[in-house]
Amino acid sequence: MLVKALIACVIGLVVGLWATAASLRSGRGFDAATIGAWTVSEKAGAPDADPYTRANLERSGEIPLAAGEGLQFIARTDDSGATLDPRCVYLVGHKTPPARYWTLSLIDRQGFPVENPAGRYGFRSSEIVRGADGGFVIAVSASAHSGNWLPIGGKDRFALALRLYDSPVSATAGAIDKAAMPRIVRESCL
Amino acid sequence: MNLKPAAINVLMVGLGAAMVAALVHIVAILVIPLYASRDAFARLSPLGPVNATIVLPQPGPQARLIPFGDPAIASSFCRYDLSAGPLRVKAPADPSGFSSLSFHTRRGSIFYAITDKAATHGMLEALVLTEEQLRALTAKDDEDVPVTDLRIVSATNSGFVVMRSLSEQPSLYPSAESAVRALNCANEAIPE
Repeated sequence: MLVKALIACVIGLVVGLWATAASLRSGRGFDAATIGAWTVSEKAGAPDADPYTRANLERSGEIPLAAGEGLQFIARTDDSGATLDPRCVYLVGHKTPPARYWTLSLIDRQGFPVENPAGRYGFRSSEIVRGADGGFVIAVSASAHSGNWLPIGGKDRFALALRLYDSPVSATAGAIDKAAMPRIVRESCL
Repeated sequence: MNLKPAAINVLMVGLGAAMVAALVHIVAILVIPLYASRDAFARLSPLGPVNATIVLPQPGPQARLIPFGDPAIASSFCRYDLSAGPLRVKAPADPSGFSSLSFHTRRGSIFYAITDKAATHGMLEALVLTEEQLRALTAKDDEDVPVTDLRIVSATNSGFVVMRSLSEQPSLYPSAESAVRALNCANEAIPE
């Protein structure tokens, strides 16, 4: 009987810790909202964030944006749901939800910019080349591209981070319509 | 028929293991934020003393202290300790671009934030204090003089203030950096 209880405890401990590590690796709490390919944690850093969001924040060490400052959206897949692949070319664009400024940058799985020969880690709304209709397209690819080119450095999986600063949608991020977010379309692959 | 007791044994152990696993998982998730060995405060603390303004390196592949930083944003921070008195925070707000102040507890939750839109005469200013210090201060307030301070109550004695400033162009990053370098944090006398 004692042996059985011991076995159950050991297995339970291992599975419990594994589940904890796995849920932290996924990097999202209960209050994360998904809008198309983008996920946003509305309550990151808020005093009433859920325990998963809190634990995630402690482990990653990031300094989240307050709701009054802005919002951060992360995309690890394209619009079709396929994981972003460094061998492919993606076109990101046309529009973002309203904000005084926004930035789009490329990050690795830990949340850091990826080294690339162009030294280009992201675009600001204030520096982007726009079309006649005010829309924009950012080409995310390993090799040089005309227009707004965001280089993919390295061969590892990457993610895109969209940050809105001073945005009226901050308080209701979960309710943003998918059509208001930039689309991520795979153009071609090597 | 010997199979049956064996199957029950496995089932019991499995059930027990599942219960222990759930318990371990829940406890671990709840304990991690309290442990706080790798959170932002723990990472920022070794960079300098309390009240000192420290400019963070521009987020990039080499700056691996704080993840999910925006390469377009210059940021600085100061740690505070309210046991030495309320904290006066001053920062110049560049009216042309986006800048903000956010107030974080020791545990990393944000209890207040203001942007450059809240600036008066080009300055963002706030007084961070404990509940007790606020009570002492309001008791001393002159009823005929309106309070002009932005008073923010911190639930914890220690925490940190972050200033962010957005650079509109890559070439303007140095000026955003000099804006956040001007963040000033200083303790005031404890109100009697």
